[in-house]
Amino acid sequence: MRRAAFLALGFLAALPARAETLSFPVLVPLTGFLSLEGTSQRNGAVLALTEAAAKTEVIDTGTSPEAAVTALERAAGNGNVGAVAASMLGTQMLAMLPLAAELKLPLVTVSGTASITEQGNPWVFRFFPGDAVTKTAHARYVVEELGRKRPALIYQTTAYGQSGKAHLEPAFKALGAELVFEEGVDPAAKDLLPVLTKALAAKPDVLVLHLHSGPTALLLKQAAASGVTLPIVAGSAMHQPSTAALLEPVELKGVCAETAASPISGGSPGMDAFTASYRAAFGKEPDAFALGQYDGMRMVLAAVRDGATTADDIRKALAGGSHAGLAMTYKSDGKGNMAHSAVIVCYDGTSRVPALVKRYDDVAGVVK
Amino acid sequence: MRASLSGRLADAVLALAALALLVHAVGFASPYGLRVLTVAGVYALAAFGFQILFGLGGALSLAQGAFFGLGAYVTGILGSRYGLGFSVTFPLSLLVPLLVALPVGLAVLRLESHYFALATLGIAQVLHLLAVNAPELTGGANGLPGVPGVVLFGWAVPRGLPMAALVWSMVAVGGAVGWGLARGRLGRALTLVRDDPMAASTLGLDVGRLRLTAFAVSALFAGAAGALAVHTQRVVSPEVLEFPVMVSILTIAVVGGRGRMAGAVLGAVLLVHLPEWFRALERSYLIVYGAALLLTILLAPDGLTGLLERLFPRRARPVPDATEPPPGRKRDGEALSVEGLSKAFGGVHAVQGVSLTLRAGTITGLIGPNGSGKTTLINLISGLERPDAGTVWLAGQALTGARPDRLARAGLARSFQAAALPDGSTALEAVAAARLASDRDLAAAESHARWALDRMGVGELAARPCRDLPAASRRRVELARALARRPAVLLLDEPAAGLTDSEKADLAARLRALAAEGVALLVVEHDMGFLLPLAGWVVCLDRGRTLYEGPPEGVRSDAAVVAAYLGGGAP
Amino acid sequence: MATALQLLLNGVALGAAYALVALGFVLVLNATSAVNFAQGDLVMAGGLLAVALAPLIPLPGIVLLPVVLALMAGLGLLLAAAAYLPLRRRPPVSVFISTIAVGIILQNGASVLFGPEPRVAPPLFGDGIWRIGGVAVAEQSVAIVAVAALLIGAQQWVFGRTQLGRRLRATAQDPEMARACGVPVTAMILTTFAIGAACAGAAGLLLANRYFVTPTAGGDLILKAYIAVTVGGWGSVPGAVAGALLIALFEVGVSSVLSYPAALGALYATLLVILVVRPQGLFGEAVRRRA
Repeated sequence: MRRAAFLALGFLAALPARAETLSFPVLVPLTGFLSLEGTSQRNGAVLALTEAAAKTEVIDTGTSPEAAVTALERAAGNGNVGAVAASMLGTQMLAMLPLAAELKLPLVTVSGTASITEQGNPWVFRFFPGDAVTKTAHARYVVEELGRKRPALIYQTTAYGQSGKAHLEPAFKALGAELVFEEGVDPAAKDLLPVLTKALAAKPDVLVLHLHSGPTALLLKQAAASGVTLPIVAGSAMHQPSTAALLEPVELKGVCAETAASPISGGSPGMDAFTASYRAAFGKEPDAFALGQYDGMRMVLAAVRDGATTADDIRKALAGGSHAGLAMTYKSDGKGNMAHSAVIVCYDGTSRVPALVKRYDDVAGVVK
Repeated sequence: MRASLSGRLADAVLALAALALLVHAVGFASPYGLRVLTVAGVYALAAFGFQILFGLGGALSLAQGAFFGLGAYVTGILGSRYGLGFSVTFPLSLLVPLLVALPVGLAVLRLESHYFALATLGIAQVLHLLAVNAPELTGGANGLPGVPGVVLFGWAVPRGLPMAALVWSMVAVGGAVGWGLARGRLGRALTLVRDDPMAASTLGLDVGRLRLTAFAVSALFAGAAGALAVHTQRVVSPEVLEFPVMVSILTIAVVGGRGRMAGAVLGAVLLVHLPEWFRALERSYLIVYGAALLLTILLAPDGLTGLLERLFPRRARPVPDATEPPPGRKRDGEALSVEGLSKAFGGVHAVQGVSLTLRAGTITGLIGPNGSGKTTLINLISGLERPDAGTVWLAGQALTGARPDRLARAGLARSFQAAALPDGSTALEAVAAARLASDRDLAAAESHARWALDRMGVGELAARPCRDLPAASRRRVELARALARRPAVLLLDEPAAGLTDSEKADLAARLRALAAEGVALLVVEHDMGFLLPLAGWVVCLDRGRTLYEGPPEGVRSDAAVVAAYLGGGAP
Repeated sequence: MATALQLLLNGVALGAAYALVALGFVLVLNATSAVNFAQGDLVMAGGLLAVALAPLIPLPGIVLLPVVLALMAGLGLLLAAAAYLPLRRRPPVSVFISTIAVGIILQNGASVLFGPEPRVAPPLFGDGIWRIGGVAVAEQSVAIVAVAALLIGAQQWVFGRTQLGRRLRATAQDPEMARACGVPVTAMILTTFAIGAACAGAAGLLLANRYFVTPTAGGDLILKAYIAVTVGGWGSVPGAVAGALLIALFEVGVSSVLSYPAALGALYATLLVILVVRPQGLFGEAVRRRA
């Protein structure tokens, strides 16, 4: 067993580093609680890279920061890396950032976690609106479009949920609407009736959700069963086609969600083409995370096409240029935030494909 | 000769493996290879503590991952929020888990097996909840970024080889400390506590204190590992407190080899590298990992060290020369006196108002039909059961209701009906266990044990495993175990059961010799032909009450005794 | 009042589902004194099996149930053959590790086969909701409670009243003695694993409709089953049911007053108190630990 260890390690160490072509490793969570989102990321990145016939390898980062750092170290040693498609799990990004700076490798991610672009690290590029953007759009839609003033917030006790909650609170306050109820729920919670009951007891005029895919569907199902008639505006997990697949269309009536984009809702020939090739390649419906990662890798590949030959060239191109992607036009704000638009989609109760109802561009966002 | 050669071969294999690892790390490993090695070192360190607590002590603690996480959070919070350096945070990362382990251990260590596991799991889950839901302190689910690297005497240890070297030197130090503890008195005593806690306590070992010590030591190791983990990954998040970390440590300990420090290292190196070899398979790599793990445990159920030992059996250690242990306190007159002892189990009076006195240098026989309360009486005297009423005086001290180990240390020794020798150990080790509470080191305990074995005429069996001993020899080894304690009072539960007549005669002679030295003996026996000539005084119990007390000559003529034995019971 | 009733109903349904998860775990535990750490992943496998079968058999779940039970029983036999029988003479902790390995294989195999998306299985009868005086009674909730009660009752009957049950119990108490008395011990152990996995399949099918199923769902379920079984009294079936209901009481009842994390914290605090007061679990110990 030990000898095998040395043989295998020796083999890995002996792999020659090829300098001629740039490679673009994809380091995303394919196992664990974020595997759904991570798989979207993987597919988006892989689609862009295969279309361009670029060199890549996919490494699972699981859910631990430790595994993410190890994966980055591994990828860095395997050839001439141009940029990395990096995990959307905020904690993993935070762990990879110092190493990326040391290795001088741009990380292209769709993580919404606010703090990853607050570290003063020039190597991170986020191709998904951060929570500062999406949560502002989320709150603005609730207050400005729906005219609601008494929101109740149910969020997940994960990095995704806590970061969203931290931004929703001030966003609502800035709009003159105080949260009448807020509570975190564990992703393993099976029955969400207790939290729904408590939320309703606070007499809200709208339910605001920031939960992962499964729990979002659970709560909507429970709300439908309890005959809740309040409008529900959910977080980005709602727009994922796999979330809607868990529910009957009628259970979705009147539900809206914040997201960066909704590829299956169409909107442009480019978007339709993306959705079609995504379906053909993976047999699944694409979501905004896949699209964001796709757009991000496309910007990276565009930089290479325009003459970037090193990781640092790519970083400069990402930091300084702008890219007309399928979801929106991306341009860095100087900190690596590339996406500044968010949309609201709503379900009409007859289909699982939502319609785009409101678009928020160039959102400044309430910085926490 | 062959055995000794292959024993050396096993050491050589381990040494060569270590050397190869070193050469590989220094000369050939990529930064990635070094990182994986560093992570393996961190897990090895955490597993050392678990080997002591679970491997040797048998306590299935599910809090080892929690102490790991606690150490990680101490370093993480102090390092990233307050900018404190390694020289401050590292000792605190050891101290805080220790300070949590002590009160927690006091509260839950008395629980048995799975109840203990559940209690420790509960504590781990509470810590995880706190980490996730107290974002002001812990950064919440996101955790805290920006934990500084290790700075040693003003030198910031860079990642790669220096960090790997730092972690592995800690592994070396921790491994040496763990190895010393495991091979010493603590390790031996914990093994006994694991295999037979009851026997351990009647041999004078404070089971609670030993378990607490092991719990505290395991927390120290886990805290150190947690701190190093955070320094290598530079963020701390609730993931370090999650159940998979605990499962990894447990798996490493079992796959490596329970109770062995080398096993912790082998297990950690194998299990941390295993998924890395298959990672290129994308989503399927964990399936292959699971299959490999299954295969490993099937091929090496006693762990990798167990496999090595099977391939290269170790030579037996030489048996030490005999040394007579210092004699116990000599007392004349009453060695033990019992007054009005009573015990009921759910309404059934097992022992009711029994009084008896054992004098130094005498042999007292305790007889009675099955179920008359003889064994319960011995259990009450030796502290395994607490009496409902009555008093026990041992060597002039009132020790009613005292714990078995306290009574044992006050000069009481006992044997069990079914000879309670640990199957896995040799006769010498089994007897040496009786000296752990009184001798300073293992060498002294073993040479004293050799003396006791010689005394019982089984010195030549010292190196034999207990499970291979014939019944008569087991009896003698068990007597040697009791004798090795140099007790003032010796309680024997059916010592002649299953012996031939000549063996019984031999046993009687040895017991007489003990009495002649001033030991007070209480012998429970059914065999009247053996007991009556031996005993100077006989007590007969029936349904928990004293039926007869007097010289042995009077037993056969006592009408009540005869009636009780003939099964007629009371008229 | 209606709210409290509604919460009670939901809590009992969840507790019944947890009890089913714990039931298979206890069975194997009693027959082999080994902890089957793959039990949670077996439940997940049962759920995904139901999801996979649903398009092939477009009928209500009650028709799917026997198919799932049979296939899962087969999986249980495989589990016994691969992870238990080769290690039966080893310390129980070896089986702990081998079943962890099987759990890893199941979880990731499911992820490769089905993808990471949460899935929903068909309901047992229908997904209608009866409204009785302000309380929404989901058909599936009633089905969960009924199936759980039926299976637990059947198990108690088999163990208490039948020849098979006596043989299973004899095997559990002392395999050597049972073998000497002519009980086919290996067959009994295989049967137990098959029944245990079938229970997991039933639990999986029921849970996967109301609460969905993902390949990673097993980890949380094994934790709950372990807690339920231990706090109830290691190896006691009524204890495991009580333990499962206790967990559901906190998850649904207490969390309707306190926040969800606080309710979980209270659950663990309660467990510790129970262990301090009753160190052998709520219902006492059913099997003595074998070293």
